[in-house]
Amino acid sequence: MTNCLLCQSSLRNTTSFDEIMSLAPTQARQLCEECAAKFFRLDSVATCDQCGRRLKAEMSNPCYDCERWQQQISFDFQNRALYEYNSAMKDYMKRYKFLGDYQLRFIFAKEVKKAVTRQKRLLVPIPVNAGTMATRGFNQVTGLLKGCSLVEALKTSQTVKDKRQSEKDRADRLRLIQPFELVEPQIERISGKNVTIIDDVYTTGTTIRHAASLLYQAGAASVIGITLAR
Amino acid sequence: MINHISDLYGRQISSAELPAAILELPEVKRRPAIQLKPSLMCSRCGSRLKRSQANLPNGQYYCYVCIQMKRMDTLHDLAFIDEPNQFNKVSNALSWEGQLTPLQAECAEQVVRIFKKRQHHLLWAVTGAGKTEMLFKGIEWAVRYGKRICIASPRVDVCIELFPRIQAAFAKTSIVLLHGKSDQPYKYSQITICTTHQLLRFYHAFDVLIIDEVDVFPFSGNPMLHFGVNNAIKTAGAMLYLTATPDKHLLTQVRKGHLSISYLPIRYHGHLLPEPTVIKIKGLSQGIDNNRLDKRILKMIRQLMSQQQRFLLFVPHIKDLATVATAIKDAGIIAKYDTVFAADPERLEKVGAMRHHELDFIITTTILERGVTFPGIDVLVLKADDDIFSAAALIQIAGRVGRSSDRPTGRVLFYAETRAANIRSCQRQIRKMNRKAAEI
Ligand SMILES: [Zn+2]
Ligand SMILES: [Zn+2]
Ligand SMILES: [Zn+2]
Repeated sequence: MTNCLLCQSSLRNTTSFDEIMSLAPTQARQLCEECAAKFFRLDSVATCDQCGRRLKAEMSNPCYDCERWQQQISFDFQNRALYEYNSAMKDYMKRYKFLGDYQLRFIFAKEVKKAVTRQKRLLVPIPVNAGTMATRGFNQVTGLLKGCSLVEALKTSQTVKDKRQSEKDRADRLRLIQPFELVEPQIERISGKNVTIIDDVYTTGTTIRHAASLLYQAGAASVIGITLAR
Repeated sequence: MINHISDLYGRQISSAELPAAILELPEVKRRPAIQLKPSLMCSRCGSRLKRSQANLPNGQYYCYVCIQMKRMDTLHDLAFIDEPNQFNKVSNALSWEGQLTPLQAECAEQVVRIFKKRQHHLLWAVTGAGKTEMLFKGIEWAVRYGKRICIASPRVDVCIELFPRIQAAFAKTSIVLLHGKSDQPYKYSQITICTTHQLLRFYHAFDVLIIDEVDVFPFSGNPMLHFGVNNAIKTAGAMLYLTATPDKHLLTQVRKGHLSISYLPIRYHGHLLPEPTVIKIKGLSQGIDNNRLDKRILKMIRQLMSQQQRFLLFVPHIKDLATVATAIKDAGIIAKYDTVFAADPERLEKVGAMRHHELDFIITTTILERGVTFPGIDVLVLKADDDIFSAAALIQIAGRVGRSSDRPTGRVLFYAETRAANIRSCQRQIRKMNRKAAEI
């Protein structure tokens, strides 16, 4: 007998006939119907081509934020997200990442794997810093990538964070406070390749674009992003 | 984050939460948060862990069972400091000036004896017996000898209601209230009032541990919380369980001689427990599903409103809250009311509004079945024959009524399609207690 990973209710009674007959999402086996219904999948709604957010009626495509990005960066970058960052996802992240409930990776791992392996691309996860690794004991991104072959080409930079972020415009910031470094021996594997960066949440898009710019520097032919949530 | 060394007295906290300055102090002891042998086990909650679920990268493990209370893992130790009982020995700490009835006074003396002899004891007292007041003498004795005292309950509402009463009775003693929804910071105090979950963060702390409403979820049948209790109490501490409806587990403990027992079958004001009236209504459940209430129920609600009689309206399921509220609204009944359930984010505010007479009634799940007292109220239970209402739950619900000496009686109305086993058992047990009370 298994229990819902989020609310512990028994999953024994929840496998309805409909569920068996339909193409139930992979998470159905980890979550009860009630918990599963609280997450919002982005694959069946209109989304921004550039960042993957759900487009509301009054929004253009690409969205306003992405238009600004296009003016500020000189490389191509598109992100796709599997789920909306709603309150259920926020709560999930709190438990998975901040409380550190590593088993909650199982809820989305299969879906993430399916999404990132659909095309033959090099998979580069966003790294966590050494301090986080020492207390949390895992990287929440690689946790979602069970069974995928990864190129860990990025590490967090040792250099101190820039103090006066607010005084710089976004392009400056992007250049100045690069939080990542390339991992030397991996650089040559990037050159000429199509790369997918994977992160847990796309918030402002700054982090993942920092990563993308480094990978272009290393000679990547194209770089896209896939995040669990946007 | 832990900032002062006293925050660790009698507690057990992951080294992840402790600044280096405290961790380096010589008093701080450490033990592994997760035991690897003979099998994988959490030191804090005692859960046996499955390796496939508990594993972290690089051969590390964590506990996924008690993780809501911050994570236990092999990356960190459990830090603790032996309880130093750093309290002033104060005589006459009790500032309460109320009177106990002779029966209550007898019980109160017994509580003192139990604490002195460090017994493990079950006090089976009917709803409205005045349990809290009967504890005062025992707590006063413990304060006089510099003991550390804890009153824990599985229900947060019970803790919140208890806190001001204990505070008023022991005005000069340090008291802290701990529960998951509290923003009051932890402070080393002689008296701790907390939910049973919070006990997981204590280690050999309490000389006296009182557990109120011990038979209720989530404590009943939860090995993690029982393990927490045994860790929180000192090896030779006194333990007092309180309830009006002991479960099988407790009665087994009594039978095996692990627990002594005493019984208080009469309410403090000397009146008997109100007996429920069962009103059978065909199609009650279906009606509620369709936002309809039988006219007998609506008539009763109108009557209560016109008499300005406040009440609690119990329903078995969360989904019934909205349908019943709609049915009342559609019937044109004008009243101030709200709905509440366990995970309701505004639960504490709504219960507060009822307490402060800002509501005429509240539609509730079993969450308000016990611990909370609204003087002079009536109760109505819809679908009393639903499995959700155990006999114990129905006894507790009926026990909300007639608690004040101003109005020692009141209505307890069970609306049901059939007189199911739970209802019959509830009625039988209430009559039995009333017979016992009449013998005194
Ligand atoms: Zn669930
Ligand atoms: Zn966009
Ligand atoms: Zn545990």
